[in-house]
Amino acid sequence: MESATVAVDHSHEEHHHGPPEANQSSRIDRQTLGILLFIVSEIMLFGAFFAAYFFLRVVVDPPSWPPEPYELPVAVAGINTAILVSSSFTIHYALESIRRGHRNGLKLGLVLTWMLGATFLFIQLNEYAHIGFSARDLAFGSIFYGLTGLHGAHVFVGLALLSFATIRAFRGHFGPKAEDHLGVEVPGIYWHFVDVMWIIVYVSVYIL
Amino acid sequence: MRISEQAVFRWVVIVTVAAASVVALTLLSTPLVGALWGVALVVAGALHGYRWLGRRRRGITG
Repeated sequence: MESATVAVDHSHEEHHHGPPEANQSSRIDRQTLGILLFIVSEIMLFGAFFAAYFFLRVVVDPPSWPPEPYELPVAVAGINTAILVSSSFTIHYALESIRRGHRNGLKLGLVLTWMLGATFLFIQLNEYAHIGFSARDLAFGSIFYGLTGLHGAHVFVGLALLSFATIRAFRGHFGPKAEDHLGVEVPGIYWHFVDVMWIIVYVSVYIL
Repeated sequence: MRISEQAVFRWVVIVTVAAASVVALTLLSTPLVGALWGVALVVAGALHGYRWLGRRRRGITG
């Protein structure tokens, strides 16, 4: 598979300082490639945590899971899952709006996404406060807080990215062309990754 | 398939529907059945991805 590279014309530069401009692929822009590579690395990180979780669950095979007397709030986590899935729809709505040139739709979508994400995080923290066990309680506690906490940290980072995107959206920085709203598209791709990862965490930890 | 938020969102919907089926099956039967169905879906997704890559290498899809 060959990627075309963009040739850089240096013939008009009289005073060139610094290293030459890096080659660019014509198939994918740098920002999208960057976030995809980052997501791949984060998938590997989550993979390590899932490996630990399933090792404890399947290989160690304790008599009961979760161990007595701990219980997981499946229904509350289910509602939280619905909230996070909804936030993927709102950020998609925001991006579809700006692709059509509707800046108000972009702003509304971004604000809604941020609020849904913050609600998810708040409910998760509230769950930690009331769940009845800590990270020090058995290996189960360690891996539960490790896996859900790792995801929560990713949600926090996603909220930070969305904050930047929302502020810029309200300042009118984005336009309908693809290269004019990469500042929303890239956080959008990251947010979808966070959503999908939570779906996998929820099914693995709370349901199975 | 051009890598964009639209393509990723399509996969969000697919994964959500697949996960909902795993959840439903687990609640209706046992966690083992749900886990097996989940593994089957993952394998099907991996096969689909492998075939898509092959088509892309041959220049059949964009």
